Amino acid sequence: MKHLSFKGELMRERFLVLCVFLFFPVVLPCPASAGGPLDQASETTDKILAILTDPEMKDASKAQERKALIGKVVDERFDWEELSRRSLGRHWTSRTEEERRAFITLFRELLERTYLDRVEEYSGEKISYVGEKVDGDFATVEAKFLTAQRTEIPLLYRMRLKGDAWMVYDIVIEGVSLVGNYRNQFQSILSRRPYEELVRMLQEKVAEEQ
Amino acid sequence: MGKWKCGILAGALIFLLNAAPALGQGEPGLGEIALSARTAGEPDEFYDDYDDNDWYEEYHEYLPDPLEPINRAFFVFNDRLYFWVLKPVATGYKTVVPEKARISVRNFFTNLAFPVRFVNCLLQGKVEGAAEELGSFLLNSIGGMGGFFDIAGAAGVRKYDEDFDQSLAVYGFGPGFYIHWPVLGPSTLRGTVGKTGDLFLDPLSYYGEYWYAPWSRGLNVVNDTSLRIGDYEALKRAALDPYVALRDAYYQNRLKKIEE
Repeated sequence: MKHLSFKGELMRERFLVLCVFLFFPVVLPCPASAGGPLDQASETTDKILAILTDPEMKDASKAQERKALIGKVVDERFDWEELSRRSLGRHWTSRTEEERRAFITLFRELLERTYLDRVEEYSGEKISYVGEKVDGDFATVEAKFLTAQRTEIPLLYRMRLKGDAWMVYDIVIEGVSLVGNYRNQFQSILSRRPYEELVRMLQEKVAEEQ
Repeated sequence: MGKWKCGILAGALIFLLNAAPALGQGEPGLGEIALSARTAGEPDEFYDDYDDNDWYEEYHEYLPDPLEPINRAFFVFNDRLYFWVLKPVATGYKTVVPEKARISVRNFFTNLAFPVRFVNCLLQGKVEGAAEELGSFLLNSIGGMGGFFDIAGAAGVRKYDEDFDQSLAVYGFGPGFYIHWPVLGPSTLRGTVGKTGDLFLDPLSYYGEYWYAPWSRGLNVVNDTSLRIGDYEALKRAALDPYVALRDAYYQNRLKKIEE
């Protein structure tokens, strides 16, 4: 008896799966209503370029304001939590929710401080988008960074779909992943020192940047 | 007078640069140390939960770093060498030579190193790449005034940046372990063998009185650095452990080049 009911359940399940399969294309609306990952990434770089080339913002006295504006645009496109989680790797699991929040804030600050300063050196570099690869909720967007000295640097954004926004969680420059690079550093530090020490190092680094 | 001094410094630097791998080749005891190896980035079980595309495949190749204490010492040495010698020299050079000329000098040296790319394209069975490299070389050498103008590149012909390290990797040789050479910087056991092999294909090795061609190589290094001042500083600034950051950046970049 038992055996039979189990079989019946299995059949029902199969039927359900079949239904889902058949109706899937009809029921699910196209998720890419706000443009694909490439469009969204290029929208962000366009916004940043607009700020950088805005004649009203050119003045040195506006540097802080400009940085804050760019930071805001970047925040809209970056998934700092995912980026932090992947950078800490397996050490993320053993952290409390509070520690995680603190880590995300600190890490974001470090990255924004160091990289926004480089953006400030902008002198006519260009980014051109090459293509995108979408695999479910994950995507990679390929781009090329053309320096002022006409050197081409291949770029790759790793993105994840959150709602209808594609959020960047890693940047790969010339094959070097930002997350992977920090992950290696964090691992190396944490293999010798306690987590608190890593936090202290991050804090010092952020303070240095001020 | 200043320029003369710069030349001597650059020459000495380049002598070291080229002597280092040759000296290191037969060093005894490397294998023994390698036996007690600890790995640079241990496998990370955490990532098995994240099955997104090709994400973690590249991290499944770990580069052992058994010589870490020695490497770190050489890293500090190179760091000082950069800030105390190379950067001041390159900065001085930068103020004297306009950027356009420096790009032309870079083009010249890149064009000259054509045999390295050509032969390694062939070694890896990339016939199309070899043909394109040959085409660019002829075009740039003749039309580009001996390689000073990269007209092939401007016309959209891509560069095949192949070297012997990549060829060895294609033949199935592993990287061995990480080596941070004094002066030369990041490499691996395979990378060192590769670099030595490439030296035989480098026309500069056959030019002039000395195979290490101190003046030409010195100029190449200073010129290259002058176009790249700020890169190393940025890496250092963003890093918590610059040694590990550089080691990882070197290796990830190598993996990408090998893959291409």
